[in-house]
Amino acid sequence: MGYPYSHSSEVPLLSKHFGQPEARTLEGWKARGGYEGLRKALELGREQVIDAVKASGLRGRGGAGFPTGVKWSFMPKDKNKPHFLLCNADESEPGTFKDRELIRWTPHQVIEGCLIGAYAIGAEHCYIYVRGEFFEATQVLAKAIEEVYEAGIAGDDAMGSGERLDVTLHVGAGAYICGEETGLMNSLEGRRGQPRIKPPFPAAVGAFGLPTTINNVETLCAVPHIVVNGGEWYRQWGTEKSPGTKLFCVSGHVQKPGNYELPLGFPLKDLIYDVCGGLAPGRDLKAVIPGGSSVPLLTKDECLPCTLDYEGVVEAGSMLGCASVIVLDDTANVVKQVRRMVQFYAHESCGQCTPCREGTSWMTRILTRIEAGKGLEADLDTLLDLSDQMTGTTICVLSDSAAAPVVSSIGKFKEDYLALIRRGERVGAA
Amino acid sequence: MSDARKVPAPGENPGWAGNTGEYQLSESQVRGEDYVGVRPPEGGHAAAAASYPYMLAVKDPDAVLFEGPYEERFHKILTRYPDRRAALLPTLNLAQEVRGHVSPETMDRVADLLELPHAYVRGVATFYTMYNKGPVGRYLIQVCTNISCSLCGGDKVLEAFLEATDTELGETTSDGLFTVTEVECLAACGFPTAVQINSRYFENVVPEAVPAILERLRAEAV
Repeated sequence: MGYPYSHSSEVPLLSKHFGQPEARTLEGWKARGGYEGLRKALELGREQVIDAVKASGLRGRGGAGFPTGVKWSFMPKDKNKPHFLLCNADESEPGTFKDRELIRWTPHQVIEGCLIGAYAIGAEHCYIYVRGEFFEATQVLAKAIEEVYEAGIAGDDAMGSGERLDVTLHVGAGAYICGEETGLMNSLEGRRGQPRIKPPFPAAVGAFGLPTTINNVETLCAVPHIVVNGGEWYRQWGTEKSPGTKLFCVSGHVQKPGNYELPLGFPLKDLIYDVCGGLAPGRDLKAVIPGGSSVPLLTKDECLPCTLDYEGVVEAGSMLGCASVIVLDDTANVVKQVRRMVQFYAHESCGQCTPCREGTSWMTRILTRIEAGKGLEADLDTLLDLSDQMTGTTICVLSDSAAAPVVSSIGKFKEDYLALIRRGERVGAA
Repeated sequence: MSDARKVPAPGENPGWAGNTGEYQLSESQVRGEDYVGVRPPEGGHAAAAASYPYMLAVKDPDAVLFEGPYEERFHKILTRYPDRRAALLPTLNLAQEVRGHVSPETMDRVADLLELPHAYVRGVATFYTMYNKGPVGRYLIQVCTNISCSLCGGDKVLEAFLEATDTELGETTSDGLFTVTEVECLAACGFPTAVQINSRYFENVVPEAVPAILERLRAEAV
């Protein structure tokens, strides 16, 4: 069930118990089938768990969409050194608000996913890296962790299996870039959250120099369901290449914003006009950002045929990312919103790579100038040139993410820029 | 926005999203207060000891780092990592919880505790935005103005807070109660405008609700 609204099109697996305070407790979670997945995983053995996740086709829900089972199989099989699982709950992509809901409503679902994941990759210890702002959600998770230790579900002898499975809550301190998996590892180690060059990949040399896997909260939350019901069961939803369900975070100019759990491949048009109750009366759709602030904008015409699976959104000209659908109606000022996004990236750039450190702040200055009606047409060429130099030239993709909305908005909403530049006329107020 | 979206009436904004949709939940049910209860200051189980850097309303910038239950928590945190450096962020969080901000002296003290170079710790501490580099008011009000909130009027909410407190961005009111700042996305985009006040999220905040929120905080501060 979505929160704070639900819809009959939803397939609630992960979100089934949102809005039910009693589902938070260990007792309440067990009454809802909780920890059956972990019990079964410990009986099946590592290989079988990885095989089930591979068979399900589950793809990473943090944005990249890499198959989770395949990622797990990269971890070394020999156990001559410790392995780590990192659960990435540093949710900070503008437009995304699913992990906070998963943690605060179903903390035991998160922990169960972490313990199964840790077991599957041969890790004794899982760190859950939660962004620092989530004080309230973190306290709920802290309480749940204490409950699983007390019940012997985690610890030196997890559920009487003889396996050591530890879980530790680690709290960040406010840096978007720590959501990047190598930045997250550096931050966990007590360093600045600057991303690392790959290779070496985390499965070989990760946190503390040891084999590590990093998974998103939502990915890990899907795992207990897959282990209990089998990989094929999960494929009844979604498409061949993008199986399963996904939490869609819808924000912006819709009547009923919120989280909705839908099968992948769901039509974007239906999400906006049916599930979310459409736009306010008399408004028209202007643009949609389908995957959080890092992806290109889609125009109304591009939205209408778009289906929300990893391939469908690419076909429409953008990316699914973490399925954070930001809706802009005809009152939106595209230039202002693009400036706001780029300003965010300038603030969050870790400063390692020149194209990003310089490019994001330079772009912000240009966009601010245009927004104020003091821009030149040549500024658009400068922005495109900068975008070009910021794409594919840095350690991580923050720089590329900053360039994406600039390039797509100049390509698709050039008139809005020109109105400001030529006549100082602002299109849209919001 | 039309009637379909149940936004609380002006002045009645409860500051949390529990009754805006189809759910009828109390504030403590939404926030999980009933479940969490009162967390022990010494941190409870070590696995969760690093987990709740409350932004306490009452701060003591000269507090000893660390003594009493906080010292216990610090030692618990150390047991969860392979080396002392990894405990840096949790320790800085703890220091801010006690002192209210992380001054250069605090950074040096934390460096000594963890046997790390002073310059290294300063480099790390200044990288992260949640460490207040100087004193802030009893209530740190952080208003999200990123895209989803901005589309739904985040800028106006920020203005309303600045106007109602009669301050500039980052400035503290003369009674020491409020500091208003702008913050990047709080990951509550479906509940615009999201505002974080100390450790609490206030959601669906509209400019008209700002005086009531400030009143509520003033009442709590007495």
